[in-house]
Amino acid sequence: MNMLENTLKRTYEMLAVIVNFGVGSKVLHLGKKCGISGGTIFLGKGTQHCLLNDFFDICDERVEVVLMIARTEKIESAAETISQKFKFAKANHGIAFTAALNNFLGVRNCSYDKTHEEGVYKTMYEAIFVIVDRGNAETVVSAAEAAGAKGGTIMNARGSGIHEYSRLFAMDIEPEKEVVMLILETEKTETVVNAIQDATEMSKPGNGIIFTIGVNKTYGLYQNNH
Amino acid sequence: MVIINILFEKFREVLVSVLPITLIVVILNFTLVPLELPIMLRFLLGALLIVVGLTIFLFGVDLGIAPIGNLMGTHITKSNKVWIVIVSGLLLGFFISVAEPDLHIIAGQVAIVSDNIITKFEIILYVSVGIALLLTLGFLRIIYNKSLSILLTILYGLILIVSLFTTEEFLAISFDASGATTGAMTVPFILALALGISSLKKGRASEDNSFGLVGIASTGAILAVMLMSVVKGTNEISGSLDGELSNSTAIILPFLQKLPTMLYEVALALLPIVILFIVFQIITFKLKKRPLKRIIKGLVYTLIGLVLFLTGVNAGFMEVGTLVGYTIASLDNKAILVGIGGLLGLVVILAEPAVYVLTKQIEDVTSGYLKRRVVLVALSLGVSLAVGLSMLRIIVPEIKLWHYLLPGYLLAIVLSYLVPKLFVGMSFDSGGVSSGPMTATFILAFAQGAAASTEGADVLVDGFGLIAMVAMMPIIALEILGLIFKLKTVKGGISEDEHA
Repeated sequence: MNMLENTLKRTYEMLAVIVNFGVGSKVLHLGKKCGISGGTIFLGKGTQHCLLNDFFDICDERVEVVLMIARTEKIESAAETISQKFKFAKANHGIAFTAALNNFLGVRNCSYDKTHEEGVYKTMYEAIFVIVDRGNAETVVSAAEAAGAKGGTIMNARGSGIHEYSRLFAMDIEPEKEVVMLILETEKTETVVNAIQDATEMSKPGNGIIFTIGVNKTYGLYQNNH
Repeated sequence: MVIINILFEKFREVLVSVLPITLIVVILNFTLVPLELPIMLRFLLGALLIVVGLTIFLFGVDLGIAPIGNLMGTHITKSNKVWIVIVSGLLLGFFISVAEPDLHIIAGQVAIVSDNIITKFEIILYVSVGIALLLTLGFLRIIYNKSLSILLTILYGLILIVSLFTTEEFLAISFDASGATTGAMTVPFILALALGISSLKKGRASEDNSFGLVGIASTGAILAVMLMSVVKGTNEISGSLDGELSNSTAIILPFLQKLPTMLYEVALALLPIVILFIVFQIITFKLKKRPLKRIIKGLVYTLIGLVLFLTGVNAGFMEVGTLVGYTIASLDNKAILVGIGGLLGLVVILAEPAVYVLTKQIEDVTSGYLKRRVVLVALSLGVSLAVGLSMLRIIVPEIKLWHYLLPGYLLAIVLSYLVPKLFVGMSFDSGGVSSGPMTATFILAFAQGAAASTEGADVLVDGFGLIAMVAMMPIIALEILGLIFKLKTVKGGISEDEHA
């Protein structure tokens, strides 16, 4: 029993790294070298605002999102290493952020070492997740950009809420969704979230959901405007 | 800056795929096959056009063709009415195929060699009906969860039965027709359609059913041509085809001459997709302004890109293909022909537009698990073997086409029960994908050139049948890749009892 309590005291963090297509595996590899036991990679589509893009509409920037979970101190050192190795300080090399987790299960690693109690972070950034029906991510991103966001990552996904039928012909259906992930300064969050809500009519049922999580640290984000 | 990055990245990728074939021809030029300067310059200009055209075309597919296909697939299925699925399947299949320029070319050739017993119009009509029916069948298979392997077994069983009554020439022509109808534009579109339907599915089934529609649709063309030759009783092949060689020393002029033809062909092929898109947009899509604008831009990119690409291939590559084939086949050592054929097959597939689209879609569907490069290696080896074997057939007249096709397809069908489901669809799609404009012009010209300088070889009979091989070998190659994956992907230390 003592063992269990000890495990609960430890703090875990999630590190999300967004990099160009093909780099994800390298990030994961480096993460593993830094002591993280594993990770999950999925594909996304990056959007970032710039004038020429609007004209040619060539904005299919394929990105990979790498999620890694480990204890706080491991995540911190891994995040530093990764952001240096892949030069997140330069524009368009990728971004990363970390967020605290409440629970983490599934890793058989029972060795215990004493960790200091984490105080509550005074976070500067928040990650906004918007889940909408396929095709509406565009609306979300443009509304967010209009309200001051710099860009986001769109991920294709499936899922279903209570408002959706689940069978077509002989197929079990999970309707297609898009997940939009945006990283924002905390003070901007409210305006952006409101803008997204208005644009997608989210107050009506069946139009999607939004949630935000506090972010501890970010790498590769910029204040400068183009 | 982002756009420069994206453009540059895409351009680099395309360059890497076109460079190998260019280099090999340049090396051949300085060794075995000295080409005249204007021809060489035209070839290089052609390669440049191919790189630029392919880059633009791929953006066009991403922004225009693929989203339209996806949307149509999704919306047709969401109607939840069988008659809508059937009617849309028939309409889509028929119109895409009727407008396919490659089909017009092969139909014209068949009309010539059959002395107009089978007219060009008839072939285009029947092949299009065949594709329409099979595309619909493919739709129904996905929505009713029927096994792809079983359906393919039935279809190829039918083909085997009909082929017993077909002459050797028509056997070749019918398999070629299937390769021809799955052109650079249709393949990405059909791929996207299948993805649109199957992405609705739940869980593992979604990934597994994303592929296979191209493979099913192509059997429609095979069956249509075979049945036609049986019904019409055209057993004799007469007439002959003349390879055209321009002796012009002009460098730019041939490109300018080809340009209007290509523009017409691509516009024609694009037309049904555009019309159907407009109809769907009014009835069900109702896209907002921004996504709509993007799709329109995508269609424009597709048009420009494909025109540049095809102009480059036709004006720059075709002639070189014929010359290289002719010169090498007239060398004393016949083994060189097989070797060079295999080498060209190895690299030419990399520059095939639809291959690019397929491999990208495979990456997307499997979340990057099945890497583009791995699939490309398998495809390259398959096509290389296909061209090599075809050259062997030209040299050794005793080898008949069915000596390859029968065991080949038998193996493909048997393997389809052994490999993971995802690979079955992918493999049969890759057959249609590989036999695109690059093979149909460059490699075909190479084979015809080789046949022309080989005694006892018939330009026509040996020319036909090549595309059939290029369509078959990648199926087997990818299935073997699937088998390897199945055997290798067992998580270390964890026993897995999952059945495909």
